[in-house]
This record gives sequence, structure tokens and C-alpha cells, in this order.
Amino acid sequence: MKPPNLFRKSAEKGLVYSLVMIFMMMIGFHVVAANLMSKVFGVTVLRGSIPEVRFMAFVHILFAFLFGWGASDRQRDKKSRIRQGLITSLTAGGIIALFSVLLNYLVEAQIDIRQYLTAFSADSMRYFILNQGQSGIFVLFAIYLFTGLLGTILAIIFQSEKAQTSRQSLKAKIGEAAQTFSDKMPTLVKKHWKYGIYAILVVVLLIMPMRWGSYYNFVASVVGVYVIAGIGLNIMVGLSGQLMLGYAAFFAMGAYSVALLNAPTPHGIMLGFWPSLLVGVVAAMIGAVLLGLPIMRLRGDYLAIVTLGFGEIIRILLKSDLLIDFTGGPRGIHAIQGPTLFGRSFTSDSDYVYLILVFIAISIFIYQRLANSRTGRAWLAIKEDPIAAQATGINLRGYKLLALIIGAAFAGLVGGIAAARNAFTGPNDHSLMVSINVLSLLIVGGMNSIPGIVLGAFALRGLPEILREVETYRQLAFGILLIVMMLVRPKGLWPGSRPVLEKVDEEVVEEISTEIKKPKRKRTHA
Amino acid sequence: MPELVIETKGVSKIFGGLTAVNSVDLQIPKGHIYSIIGPNGAGKTTLFNCISGFYTPEHGEILFLGRKIQGSSTDLIAGMGISRTYQNIRLFGNLTAIENILVGQHTKLVTNWLDAIIHTRRYRVENSTSLSEAKDILKFVGLEGLGDYLALNLPYGMQRRLEIGRALANGPTLLLLDEPTAGMNPQETVDMVRLIRKLRDELGISIILIEHDMKLVMDISDHISVLDYGTKIAEGMPKEIQSNDRVIEAYLGPGGAALAAKYQSRKRNNHA
Repeated sequence: MKPPNLFRKSAEKGLVYSLVMIFMMMIGFHVVAANLMSKVFGVTVLRGSIPEVRFMAFVHILFAFLFGWGASDRQRDKKSRIRQGLITSLTAGGIIALFSVLLNYLVEAQIDIRQYLTAFSADSMRYFILNQGQSGIFVLFAIYLFTGLLGTILAIIFQSEKAQTSRQSLKAKIGEAAQTFSDKMPTLVKKHWKYGIYAILVVVLLIMPMRWGSYYNFVASVVGVYVIAGIGLNIMVGLSGQLMLGYAAFFAMGAYSVALLNAPTPHGIMLGFWPSLLVGVVAAMIGAVLLGLPIMRLRGDYLAIVTLGFGEIIRILLKSDLLIDFTGGPRGIHAIQGPTLFGRSFTSDSDYVYLILVFIAISIFIYQRLANSRTGRAWLAIKEDPIAAQATGINLRGYKLLALIIGAAFAGLVGGIAAARNAFTGPNDHSLMVSINVLSLLIVGGMNSIPGIVLGAFALRGLPEILREVETYRQLAFGILLIVMMLVRPKGLWPGSRPVLEKVDEEVVEEISTEIKKPKRKRTHA
Repeated sequence: MPELVIETKGVSKIFGGLTAVNSVDLQIPKGHIYSIIGPNGAGKTTLFNCISGFYTPEHGEILFLGRKIQGSSTDLIAGMGISRTYQNIRLFGNLTAIENILVGQHTKLVTNWLDAIIHTRRYRVENSTSLSEAKDILKFVGLEGLGDYLALNLPYGMQRRLEIGRALANGPTLLLLDEPTAGMNPQETVDMVRLIRKLRDELGISIILIEHDMKLVMDISDHISVLDYGTKIAEGMPKEIQSNDRVIEAYLGPGGAALAAKYQSRKRNNHA
């Protein structure tokens, strides 16, 4: 234990914590959080559009507690941990107090700096220091100091050996109880509980679109569209390892096929939705062949750049004056006719949600069957080591092209559905951002895993829609989310795992493999 | 004259100004363990790469069972029945052991992606037979019960054996082993020698071996060729190679043969 070292480290920690708090204030987090709380839970913590003092105090206390909790190192002894907590809380509280002095001055001098920092409205600043003026500064300091210390002490108690052993024994007891419970279950239930969960999921998915109103239906269909697109891109990127940045181009091919064949302007062909959807899928597949043939020899960064260029070429072509009579140019195509099924035309949002759900089910089915077949393994082999894969007899060109074609088919399909649902498509629906979003959802959710793709689509497209409140800071929040994700779960929220094929008894394996460290055995596909 | 599995006629491979393999003639009989040795940079692996199709030789012919194969792509050559392993292991690390072997079976299987989606009858049949064959291969290379581990989690010696298993999976006629015991401990080396013998005796596969462990090479080979600076300087039975002056000089430098003779005679005198 070296006191100067300890002092510096804790002071640095306090500085970081206070900067976090100040940063949150600067982006107006406390106001947004209060708004969100009132919206989601129906609790009124607002006075007008500004949080109540009680709520603000709660926020401060919560953060102070968390700061205190994180202030000390587990390995150190009690005394120095308390010292660490004290120093960290003092620094954090001190800096926040200094910041509050500045805020108080700004409020009292009535200097308006909203021009530069939009979140710095007078109210927002006043409420940050609990609407108490100068005395609020002292209150804040006290909160950070004492709650921080409390947090440290609680952390010490909670992380003590005694508490840990008691927690472990509790865990073991729960595990035992679960074991006896599952032993008592009839074998039928034990074997098929998964299907029960699936059934419940299906029922929920069938009922929800009717119940939750058109806004959530809109969100659901956006997420659904991205789920299908994610599955398609996963075949290209996750399975066959070809980094595709122009995925939106295939999306556009499907969308424009449906639009041009199925809208009054510019051609007025009115072929009907289903045949034109088929045309869209085929068009995307042909596009994949045309793109695929020249890029077969490219890998990694080069492939990414070429496909990115391809995506932009398609978008710019659609936007250009060159094709304005054919594609409608930058204005896009309006009034696209929706599908009809058994004489009933799709009108409400929930109809489209059902349509998309059906296609999601089909996509998952096809994906699962492909991924665990000879074809899927060949793709994975190519991704792992193309040279070795070819030397085991895999035709590189053929399989890479096949992955592009199948992936593009999904994109064409989903593009067509999206165009019909929006009754509109234009060049900006197929921008680079779409490609990047689909790729990011794979990275955030986890490649080669259906739950991962669904989670990723929800995180990237669903959350932003629901969190419209934080609109201004959406991109910022995403940046932070992505960085944190990559640090904490570099393989995604729910990464895929390999199927168990040899199916050996656990005991036999344990006998042979004592020398193998950290085996990865996860059962996904029963 | 026994049937030849590989015959090279004046094969040369040139990289810019460097002739890595210089008009090498080899006749490799069927059912033999044939070793290619030589100092580092002698062109052994380049010759392997020519046979397995990674490189196309500038001059000469490579005949596999009497058919010209130079210039074909590696996947076609693999389909003809030539499998190989690599000096630095090249497994598909994020696939499980048994999946590596299933990938190795690729050329033997026929079902395509449509079969996989529809689960046709032939897909189901092929799936179950290929899976049971893969299990047999795992057993053969001594990895039974480890099939569901990711290949990258296996220890080094097991990865080597799994790589051989993957090479075996498509039922090859000829197996090219590039330094199969590199980096192994003595016990793993003994196991590997046993496995290589088993490949020839039980499966009747012809084997071409590149190896630096002289004891192993002399012990296991039916026939040896020595390369130095891309040219073949000697060939024959292990006994003949051991006493070949040019080979000794290639390894020990000029004058090496005389030195070795001196050493040998002194050793003999000490014994006497």
C-alpha cells in the first residue's frame, strides 16, 4: 500500500466521475430522464417540462452512491478502501460544487448561453443545483460526500468474504432447488419445454399487433424489416465472411421493382404486389451476380470499399436526372399499391406486421437449415481460411457467389415489402446509412445467431423509435453504446454458437479432456 | 516398376529471380511413405504447393495416377484425391472438431443448398452417413469424444491430428504431410508416427512427408528424396541417404562429409 499512489488514483477517479456527471448535465440528461420517467411509468416528476427538486435530488443521490460504490479497489484492506472512498467522493463532490458555482453565477447574472450549449437553459441549470441557489451548492457537496461514503461502506460490506460465501451458499441452494424441481418434472416437459416457450412467443406475436396500437405496429414493422435484412446480410458477412457495405443496393432493387411495377406513376403497370415482389427478389439476385463476378478475388478492406461504391452508385443512379423518367428521380415513387391476399387488401399497420412476421419465420427457417448444412459449413470454412477451404475441395467462387445471391434475395424481398408498407420509396431510403445500420445490428447483436440479430435489430432500430425523446442525443448515445458493447461483449449481445453434433456424454468428455482449458460447449440446436 | 501415384517430370517453380524448385524429377510409388528432406529453404514446401495446386510450375509436368494435374485449381485437385496438411496448422478454428472433418468431406458429398432447405430424402441420408463417418475418423485419429470442441480450443498435438483427420475425410489416395511433428513433444511425436504408419497400413494411403526430424524420417520412410536449393541431390533408401556425401554437405556445409567420416571412424575406434 502506497498512500501517494492511492491518493492520486482516487483523486483521478473522482475527477472522472465528476466529469461524467457534468457531461450528463451538459447533454440535459436529467431533464430527459425525468421526461422519460413520466412518460413510461406515468409518475409525475415534472413541473412543467423541468424535473421536480425531489427527482433531481434522487438522481444526485443515486449517482453519488454509485460513485462511492465504485471508488474503492476490492483487493485493498478496509481502512484504505474507506480512505479511497473519501478521497473520491471529496474530489467528485468538490468539482461538481465548483461547477455548480459556475451554474449559479450564470443563472444569477442571467447570461444566456443556450446559443452555444442548447441544454443550458436557465431552468435546467437552476434545477441541477436543486433550485436552492447558493445553499444548493453546499447541499450537493454534502450529498456527494456522504452518499459516496455510504456507497463505499456498503460496497465493503457487500463484497466482504462473509457476504460472498453466504451469497454463494444461497446460489447453491437455489440451484439445488431448481434441480429437484426439474427432476420432478415429467420427462415430456423436460424434453420439450423449449417448444412451450416458442408456442407462447408465437401466441404473443399473434395477439400483440392487434392490441398495441398503430405506433408500436410501425415500430414493430421497422424492426421486422431489419431482422430480415440482418438475416440476409448475415449470410454474406457472418457465414461466408464477405464484408458487404452496399447492402442497401439490393434493398433498392427490391423496392424499386415493387414500386415501378406497382404504382400509378411513372409507368402505371400495376402488375400487382406479389408478382412484382417476386420480380424484386429475382432482380436483387441478378444484381448480386453482376456485382459478385468482378469482386470474387477481393477480400477484406478491398471488398468493403468496392461494395460500398456499388451501393452508392445504385443510389446516385436512382437519384440522377439520367433516369428521372424511368425511376422518378430524387422525388421517388409515391402511392405504391399494397398487397392483397384472398381478396382482402392490406390497409392497417397490423396487416403489415403479420406479413413481415410470416416472412421472418420463413427467413429464419431457411437460414437455420442453410447454416447447419454442407453449404453453411463450406461458407464458414471460407470465412475462417479461404485458402485451406479451397484446398479441402470447396469451390470458392461458387460458394461466395451463392452467399451473395441468397443474401441479396432476402434484401430484395424486404425492400419490396418496405416499399409497399410505406407506399413510397425514394433514393434516400437506400442510403449508405441503411447498409451501415444493418451491419451494425449484426455486430451489436452477434453474428450467426437469430436471437442476436433480433436483439440487434431492436437495439438499433426499435429503441431509437421508442426513445424519440432523446432524439438530439441519439447518435451520441449510439456511439457510447457501441463502444461499451465492443468493450464488454466484443462478440455481440447474443453471439452464435456451433451445434453439438457428436453428442458425447458429459462424463466421458470430462475424462478425456482434463487437459483442455475452458471448453466451449453450448447447446443451441437440439 | 510399381504403379506411380505421383510423377514429376522436370518441375520448376520460379519466383522472380529465384528458382525455388529446379527441374525436379520424382517417381513416387503407390502405398509408400515417401519423405522429402532438405535444409531450410530447399524448396520442399514449394514442391508441395505445386502438387496440391497452390502454385502452377513454370516448367515440367506433374502426373497424378498418370493424369496431368498442374494448372488445376486446388479444389479440383482435392476432388481428385490429394489431401494435405500445413506446416503451420490451418484448421477452421471457430468450427468444432467434427465440423472440420465434415468440411473435409466436402468433395465426397453431393447435396446442395436446395436439398438443405427442403430436407430432401437424399439430404437426410447423406447427413446421417457423413456424420457417422466423421465420428469414425475422429476415432481413427484419436479424438473420440472431443468432436464438439472448437478446433482452436484443442491442444497443439490434437490440432495436428485433427488436421490429418480433415485431410482424410474425403478419402484421399495421396496425403501430403508438411512437417506433421513440428513443435511436438516426444510423446506426441511417437503418437504421430504411429498414426502415420496406420494411415498407410490400414487405409492404404500413399504419403509424401516433409520432415526435419531425421530419426523419424529414417525410421518411417520407405523412400527418401533430398532437395537442396531447389534441386534434387539424392534419392534412395534411408540407409543410402544416411551415407550420401552430398546430403551431408548440404546440411553441414562444404567439407562436412569429410568431417562426418572422421567422426564416424573415431566413434568406431572408441567402440573397438
